[in-house]
Amino acid sequence: MKIIASYSIKGGVGKTAASVNLAYASAKAGNETLLIDLDPQGASSFYFRISAGKKDKRGYFFTQKNRLLKQIRGSNYKGLDILPANLSFRNFDIMLNSMSKSKKRLKQILSSLEKEYDLIILDCPPSINLLSENVFNAADMILVPVIPTTLSERTYEQLLKFFQNNGYKKKIIRPFFSMAQSKNKLHRQTIANMENRHPEFLKSIISFLIEIERMGVHRKPALVYASKKSHVQSYRTLFNEIVKILDKK
Amino acid sequence: MKTSIINDTRYLLPDNLTKKHFLDSLKTCFTVKQVTNTSESFSILENFEWSLYSKKMMAIRHENQTISLWNELNLFDDETALVIDNINARAKFWWDFPDSDAQQTLKPILKLRALYPVYQGILKIEQLNLQNDEGKILIFCQFISICEPERPRSPIMRQVKISPVTGYSKEHKQAVKLLRELGGFKPSLPPMDSLLGALGISPAPYTVKPELNLPAAMPARTAVSSIISTMIEKQRLNEQGIINDIDTEFLHHFRVSIRMVRAAIAQLKEVFPQHDVPVLKQRFGDLARETNYLRDIDVFILDKERYMNFLPESMRNDLLPMFNDFEKKRQTEAKRISRWIASRAYRKEIDDLQSLFINGYSAVETEWSEQATIELAINKIQKTYKKIYKAAQKINNTTPDENIHSIRISCKKLRYLLYFFASEFNMKKIKRVGKHLKSLQDTLGIFNDLTVQGDFLKNYLYQLEHKPKKDIMLIASLGGLISTLYTMQLQERYRCIQELAIFSNESNQQLFRETFIVSPEAG
Repeated sequence: MKIIASYSIKGGVGKTAASVNLAYASAKAGNETLLIDLDPQGASSFYFRISAGKKDKRGYFFTQKNRLLKQIRGSNYKGLDILPANLSFRNFDIMLNSMSKSKKRLKQILSSLEKEYDLIILDCPPSINLLSENVFNAADMILVPVIPTTLSERTYEQLLKFFQNNGYKKKIIRPFFSMAQSKNKLHRQTIANMENRHPEFLKSIISFLIEIERMGVHRKPALVYASKKSHVQSYRTLFNEIVKILDKK
Repeated sequence: MKTSIINDTRYLLPDNLTKKHFLDSLKTCFTVKQVTNTSESFSILENFEWSLYSKKMMAIRHENQTISLWNELNLFDDETALVIDNINARAKFWWDFPDSDAQQTLKPILKLRALYPVYQGILKIEQLNLQNDEGKILIFCQFISICEPERPRSPIMRQVKISPVTGYSKEHKQAVKLLRELGGFKPSLPPMDSLLGALGISPAPYTVKPELNLPAAMPARTAVSSIISTMIEKQRLNEQGIINDIDTEFLHHFRVSIRMVRAAIAQLKEVFPQHDVPVLKQRFGDLARETNYLRDIDVFILDKERYMNFLPESMRNDLLPMFNDFEKKRQTEAKRISRWIASRAYRKEIDDLQSLFINGYSAVETEWSEQATIELAINKIQKTYKKIYKAAQKINNTTPDENIHSIRISCKKLRYLLYFFASEFNMKKIKRVGKHLKSLQDTLGIFNDLTVQGDFLKNYLYQLEHKPKKDIMLIASLGGLISTLYTMQLQERYRCIQELAIFSNESNQQLFRETFIVSPEAG
């Protein structure tokens, strides 16, 4: 079982779009896949037409496997399950703070799902806190969507620094360009510069596309309703690239 | 989740429930969305031995000729089917299918048997999603019906399969309750049996090995008649397959059955009047001999791949003219044998022979005819084993091949006696004896096959004498083959001697003495 986190300190960079489509691509490729919606806003869950879990059951998440399993919902697609978001998720930090081994709780509970799933994808909220550190400890790969602009570049480098200062392995961070516009000169330049400076960037680039924005209307992964559009297919290419890297580990 | 698939529930629908009523009822609780709806003519494929069924598998040939292979638990589930391309639509043996995955799956199950349709009908599968108002699927529902081709509107079987989606067990329970209220009932048999039962097909797994249960005290002649009768029945089960030339196993089993009849007559001859024995031997022998040539060619052609692989790759194709030659000969001979089995003459002969044994062979009493079966069994098995171990003890490196072959034949006789009388003795010990015997027979069998194959090729080579010189490469490759077979035969001979030494050692003699006695545990 492998764990991928779709993570960024910034919001609105395409984390959820990536999580949803990668999870679908994974299930379609025959992997038993679980998408965990860690973002209290619950966008991933919404895209899969699954309503949020009940509010008052926050305790289960880091402690009891059986209660965790009960919250899991099958999606409309074979092999793809969702652990829907829960408003109480916004209190994760307070909860974790009160626990021992507070940075490795997520890793512990996820590793107990080894028999049930081949791949777990974590759709993370935009922030850097105790929950994020749990994610860094649990994931085999931190997938970071980066919009090719100067500001995003800065945020990305902040993340690298955080990893360095706190003793996390930088190796597991794999950024990719998200919402890129090929007609935008600044985007093109930033891509060239950053690829130069950061060879860890994945080759697949996800373009800005209205079809992807429409996921909220369709309430399906873009790979389902626009699978023929080449820009949407990039998610599949991205997934294949990720699998190759994870297999090498 | 990896564990969630198993909870499928199947329900059969009562005849008086219309599909419309069924769907309308579902609609009171769920939004019903039809995903796919297919209707096609299909066939269920099996071989003569029902080997797929025995392995809890089912193969279905679709209208487009592709074949889906399912495990019983996933019957009709598109995603778990092994889909087999069947481009030329005539494939019937495992080696006929182009896909190597399919070959590897089917090979150990079908062996040399051909697949053919055992049922043809119309299969309708409707895939429904039961959803909530948000469009979230709560339950997968599959509606399967099968109709006879002549009555496509009145299904003879209707089954609903509902598969729960993880996390929606409440809704699943609700659907189950609804189905029950509509009169749906869980089939009492496993999926394949309930399906075949509804179609009016009874699987009839078959093996040529007789399963006799002869009481120890039965008069010996009655027992022997029953053995022979059973084997004639087996022989006759294979007739139609030979007439239609479905696969080579029909002729093989036809011959094995006759061989067992002949073994029973020759080995247990004391139960019959002395002057009847040679006549019976002759009549059954004639039936077997008629098919010798076809069986020889069959065996040779079945081994084609193996022969080719003995040669360097560059020479393999040089053998093809010979195989083409034999395939032509086979066609002619198979037609002749098919006509012969279908002929009035054959039928009269086998009917006559069968009627002699069917109610016990009636003739004057003989020395052995009224003795207890177990006495006869012990006497014959002990004698045959003694003959083998005496001969085996004389074997050394200079013994002629013929002596080894004659031991092989005695072993076969012993094997048949064990088939006939197994139920009279302690099951565990019989199994141990059988294991030892099988190991020896396998080695002796390989040795014999190599001899026969070498001779077969040599005969073919002599026939080439009058052919023009362009066959020089065929002759060379034959030479290569003959010498390979000879080298292998020498090695195998050595193994035979070793196996014979084991089979005739003191502990095995002891095992035979202990096994073949009048035992209170038998039965």
